Amino acid sequence: MRVLSAVLVFGLGVTAAHAGSLVGKLELPAPPDRPPVATRGFLDRVENPLTKINPVNVAPYLVVVAEAEAPAPESSIQVSWELVGDSFGKPLLAVPAGAEVVIKNVTKTARSLVAVEDPKLIPGGPINPGGPKSFRTKEAKAYTITASDAPHIKAKLLVVTTPYVANIDDNGKFEIPELPGGTYKLRIYYFNPLSSKDGWLDRPDDAVVIPAKGKGEVTAKIPTGYPLKK
Amino acid sequence: MFWSKIWFFIIALAGAIALVIALVLPRPAQRVLVAEEQQRLAVACGVINILLTDDARRRVELTGSFARTQDVVGALEQASGADKLDEARMKGVRETAEKVMQGIQGRQPDFAMLIDKKGRVVARVKLDANEFGDVVAGRPLVDDALAGYMRDDLWEQNGTMYFVSAAPVVKRDAPVTYVGAVVLGHAVTNALAQKLVDGLDIDIGFFLGENDVAGSKTIAFQHKPMIDAFGKLTGGDLTRDCQANQPLQLQASSSNYTSIVARLPGEAATKQAFYAVYIKQPETVGFGATLGVVRQGDLSFANFPWLLVGGGFLLALALGIGLMFVETDRPLKKLTGDAVALGKGDKQRLAEDAHRGKYGSIARSVNIAIDKLGREAKSARKDMDQLLGPAPEGSLGTIDLLSSALPSVRPGGPSSGSAVPPSDFKFGDSGPVSAAPTPPFAALAPSKPAPVKPAAPPPPPVAATPPPKPARAPTPPPAPIAAPIAAPIAAPALSLDEDILGGLSGSVVTPIDPNAPTVAEVDPYFNQVFEQFVAVKQSCGEATSGLTYQKFADKLTKNRDDLMAKTGCKEVRFTVYVKDGKAALKATPVKDEA
Repeated sequence: MRVLSAVLVFGLGVTAAHAGSLVGKLELPAPPDRPPVATRGFLDRVENPLTKINPVNVAPYLVVVAEAEAPAPESSIQVSWELVGDSFGKPLLAVPAGAEVVIKNVTKTARSLVAVEDPKLIPGGPINPGGPKSFRTKEAKAYTITASDAPHIKAKLLVVTTPYVANIDDNGKFEIPELPGGTYKLRIYYFNPLSSKDGWLDRPDDAVVIPAKGKGEVTAKIPTGYPLKK
Repeated sequence: MFWSKIWFFIIALAGAIALVIALVLPRPAQRVLVAEEQQRLAVACGVINILLTDDARRRVELTGSFARTQDVVGALEQASGADKLDEARMKGVRETAEKVMQGIQGRQPDFAMLIDKKGRVVARVKLDANEFGDVVAGRPLVDDALAGYMRDDLWEQNGTMYFVSAAPVVKRDAPVTYVGAVVLGHAVTNALAQKLVDGLDIDIGFFLGENDVAGSKTIAFQHKPMIDAFGKLTGGDLTRDCQANQPLQLQASSSNYTSIVARLPGEAATKQAFYAVYIKQPETVGFGATLGVVRQGDLSFANFPWLLVGGGFLLALALGIGLMFVETDRPLKKLTGDAVALGKGDKQRLAEDAHRGKYGSIARSVNIAIDKLGREAKSARKDMDQLLGPAPEGSLGTIDLLSSALPSVRPGGPSSGSAVPPSDFKFGDSGPVSAAPTPPFAALAPSKPAPVKPAAPPPPPVAATPPPKPARAPTPPPAPIAAPIAAPIAAPALSLDEDILGGLSGSVVTPIDPNAPTVAEVDPYFNQVFEQFVAVKQSCGEATSGLTYQKFADKLTKNRDDLMAKTGCKEVRFTVYVKDGKAALKATPVKDEA
């Protein structure tokens, strides 16, 4: 199993000689129950008689963010985000403010994507198969990305003020490399795939001290039911 | 007549009411028919929804069977373990799926999609058969299938609507795990639409917004009314659309249709997927069209109250005839009999009190006319007496009115015909007059035996032949004196027996000497009348001494002028005849000539 499902490290002029890393694990509670089907057909869905229903895998829908005490300068890095079919490779992507996001359509179907919260964020027009479409993030906020011709395609783009973010693997483990020494506040963002609600998890933020060299470790507990801050 | 009029009014009113009923009744019937058709349409719409639901159930079962196929389970288990899918694997899995599809009995799916547990498409069959590796996880149907649910959905792909169903693929050998999912799709086609409405006597069309997808008939409908109706449908229970939705009136080419729109579920709902059931509107049934569809059986005694209608007709007819007989025919017959009696002379006047209403008025009017005519006849005699003077004893003739009535005469001429009373009438107070105008010759027959000498019988009536060319230009050539007055006289001639020569009695007849100088020019017509008069006078043994032409002509001229001034006639004809054994001369005003 991979230790890190995804690690985004953004160069800020920090050299490895002066940086450590943060490894940790999220203790995931039981996933939420599946809500009633949204797009019901003529029949209600029925469970198969052979085995129990697969629980929802919430790991792709959690992002760990390490925020330094001093705000980081605006980033100018480039982040790639793949549209792999009827979904994105990562349903929740966190990027620092100012980063350029490049969406790559690796399918053979053109899609017209739009950010619900800011329709002008993504340049208009379809993204042809194999073709990219890039845009630069500015405001630190969460954007819902969807396709106007395929409403079931839905993903979250989280723009934060820090470059130190990481996705978790199916076991809840994560690693943020190239982290300068110092004290960080650990926050967890959650995008509920069933209800499409998203936000910071309502839990005490963890304070993490990263040595100049070496690893900092943390184990964060996720409250039952994945409650969101209001 | 009062009750006849009332009856006529009632009959006319009943007819008008019947006409109104006949014209109006088809409208409620039409409304009922339309309402029934709409209800039938709503029921059919619900039936369509049931049929589609049953079809979804069969498709889900079919997909479950497909997913339980061991070859499919094995193929997807292997694919789920691979980091990357290649073409060789795709073809192998596709071949496996094609074999499974070939074994399906009945309606074949239009596509199949085999998905590993990561949501990647391992292989496709029929539709996009060479595409693979893309992630279809994220579609609700696929996500549910990968989670272990079986369900159906509606997809739109490239303008085609598909009824899709999905089932998880489960490895049943321990440990039991999910290894992927299978999606089968059935295209919504015209054949499917025709099969759905088979036996329902309606038609159906499937639409994606303004785009036609399929239909049991190829009819180009206006989409806007349907889209508008679709927009008004709210609520999550789509099965109530058929009952909640109001029927639409759609027009296609030259026909009108009634339609009900119902939403379709699933993903396609986001693209305004709906179906519309429709039927052709029944023809508007007016009075004429109603009669046109009457069947022979409708007029049978079992279905139609002929006895009631016939009885009503006979009753109305009898009542109408009875009222007419009582109020019209019988009084008219009575008046007619009275008038005939009057004509025959059995009565002098009509009995006014014996007739009621209008007929009494007619009788009174006739009696007034009789009285008026009598007075005018008396007045005419008096006028002639004043005109010609009394006939002296021993004169050449006597003044006499002919037996015909003398109507009132206007200076401009009498009205044609109307002034002469019918021959059946007798004027009791008009003196001894004959009913018909007396022809000139009739006057030659003496009313009592004339004292005619055997040796010298009176000559036959002599007609004074008018001269070929009248001496006076305006005088038309008169008819022969003794000839019967015929058609040329359009207006009833005023025949007068008059002693127009009373002043000449005892005059010496002095023949005209053509060679002698005369003061006035000799009128050939007057001369001819003069000679005839002298001849008749002599034949009657009367003295002719002292009777001169000049006096004779002066008298005739004066008499003619007076008559023309009095009666407005254009000419006067003189006739010599014998009256009471003496020669007499009659002046007849000649009115218009044909």
